[in-house]
Amino acid sequence: MISRTEYSKEKKVGEGTYAVVYVGTKRSSNRRIAIKEIKTSGFKDGLDMSAIREVKYLQEMQHANVIELVDVFMAQNNLNLVLEFLPADLEMIIKDTSILFTQADIKSWLLMTLRGVHHCHRNFILHRDLKPNNLLLAPDGQLKLADFGLARNMGSPQEFLTSNVVTRWYRAPELLFGAKHYTGAVDMWSVGVIFAELMLRIPYLPGKDDIDQIDVTFRALGTPTDKDWPEISTFGTYNKIQFYPPPSREELRRRFIAATENALSLMSGMLVMNPHKRLDPIQCLTSEYFLELPEPTLPSELPKLNKN
Amino acid sequence: MSTITKETAPQKKALQTSVRITDDDLYRHSSQYRLWSFTPDSISQIREEINVRATAKVHQDLKVFLESHPELSSEERGAIESKAIPVSTQEELLLIGYFARMILSFAGKMNLPTEVAATAVSFFRKFFLSNSVMEFAPKEMFHTALFFACKSENYFIGVESFAKKAKTTTDAVLKHEFKLLESLNFTLMNHHPYKALHGFFLDIQSVLSGKVDLNYMGQVYTNCKKAISDALLTDAVYFFSPPQITLAILLMEDEALMMRYMQLKFNLGSEIETSKDDSQSVPQADHQNSINAEKLLEVIKSCKAVISEKIIPAKEDAVRITAKLHYCQNPMSVIDRLKRQRETSSAAETPVQTPVQTPVPGDLDTKRQKT
Repeated sequence: MISRTEYSKEKKVGEGTYAVVYVGTKRSSNRRIAIKEIKTSGFKDGLDMSAIREVKYLQEMQHANVIELVDVFMAQNNLNLVLEFLPADLEMIIKDTSILFTQADIKSWLLMTLRGVHHCHRNFILHRDLKPNNLLLAPDGQLKLADFGLARNMGSPQEFLTSNVVTRWYRAPELLFGAKHYTGAVDMWSVGVIFAELMLRIPYLPGKDDIDQIDVTFRALGTPTDKDWPEISTFGTYNKIQFYPPPSREELRRRFIAATENALSLMSGMLVMNPHKRLDPIQCLTSEYFLELPEPTLPSELPKLNKN
Repeated sequence: MSTITKETAPQKKALQTSVRITDDDLYRHSSQYRLWSFTPDSISQIREEINVRATAKVHQDLKVFLESHPELSSEERGAIESKAIPVSTQEELLLIGYFARMILSFAGKMNLPTEVAATAVSFFRKFFLSNSVMEFAPKEMFHTALFFACKSENYFIGVESFAKKAKTTTDAVLKHEFKLLESLNFTLMNHHPYKALHGFFLDIQSVLSGKVDLNYMGQVYTNCKKAISDALLTDAVYFFSPPQITLAILLMEDEALMMRYMQLKFNLGSEIETSKDDSQSVPQADHQNSINAEKLLEVIKSCKAVISEKIIPAKEDAVRITAKLHYCQNPMSVIDRLKRQRETSSAAETPVQTPVQTPVPGDLDTKRQKT
């Protein structure tokens, strides 16, 4: 009840299908915060599923690399999520051509992303919408996973999951094939694509539509075969797709010019077609890439958006 | 392998194990542990306070009602005072328990997944840890809790088809949804013991490999799953963690099996002596388990005691308590009832009039419910 007066809504900064986002202040501490006001009217099924998921999962996570849910309150029959204020995201940094960043910077962002994903997965939570736009950046440089509107618990074996998740360019091959069972490996694929995008500064697998995404993905990384992914032929659409050979190491080196061998191995490990063989967060975090020089840039020293 | 790596390897391992966060650490970060763990005393106190608050409100409302109806006779006033009695904490618990049980059978009829039903029970019971049955009718809340649990557990059913199946209206289902969310302190994650059961089910077979019959284990699993749903209606969920509840249920199901398992798994002490040939053939449990087995057994036994205390409320009790609630909230209905009684007794010869429609308190949606 204190909450209603505790937070001020100062400026509308965004509007989505189910929420309006405001920037505001927490009065008692003068802390900058973001308030996500969940629209409640016009939803005939009551409170929207995305809002429920967001509240449900963020309440369980306290981690430096996951957005903090500061408070939740009701006002005028609206649900308000008070989140930490994160003024930038990784997509903005990637797209801003005036910003130069180094291999050490990329390593730092990837490290923070993987730590956040690891925290989700050890809590048995799948994010299911990892992309640069959902990796927010705090003023102190910390990267935080945000937007848990598509998150869910890891499914039990008998549960059917929907494959219609993750923004297209970051969608793992098992999802492209319409898998009804999948694991945290779908998030790892997204991280691999993000890693590639950080190195290329352009989207790595920009499919124009869902069909094209399959083509773009396999043209870049090779069409999987039942030799390295035995279950592949159980997917109905598998037989209809074009066959591409996987890229040679040399081709990868040419595409990712600045990447070290360890960087390439890590990226390729996250972009393994067979989800069972794809690297998990612990394997990534303990990989050679994070042991070799350069050391990841300290978050506070990472490039920031040039404030206008 | 060089000597250096041989020397550093154990050190490295020790470092990792000391730093690595355990599942217990993670559980302690969960909202279930942080917000919804209680001691028997603390939970009684909460329920007591809610009851006191709601009772005071009922008395206040009745006072206002009587003051605003000076025309009532002393007989009528007496009738109200004898009928519209606030319910006790114990009665609240009975009624909540009755409807919580109904959620389970209802979910069964709707073919909802076990976890959805369990979450609905959890939501419903937690709701009444900040609200009284005198403030919100359990009969109204249980549909809301079930529908909301469907959404929260990713098992979406449109409100219209839900209401149709539940034989209620969409408005009734959604009316208190926000109040429910608020009462849950906006925490929706539930860790139920079913996952732990599945884990122990697999581990028992591995630890007692070749010593247990697989068909029998399947039967144990099925029985335990059902027993867990029952245990979710007790306060064990507030005092113990999901795996502890699971172990208690397994202990209740087959004590010999569980003692044997714990002996091998957690190196449980020698108090349970096995025959000699067993101790020879059974490889010693790996001692990396830092779990204090005696302590664990103690915890499980106290959990078992709480689960065993379960009360199955009788329908008559639920009807009786609901009647009290009805009269408290609608004191006028006491007068209507009195009037009808007078009419039927004074005008015994005249054909029975259709009485003014008064909701009959016994009209619970319980016809299909077996108690």
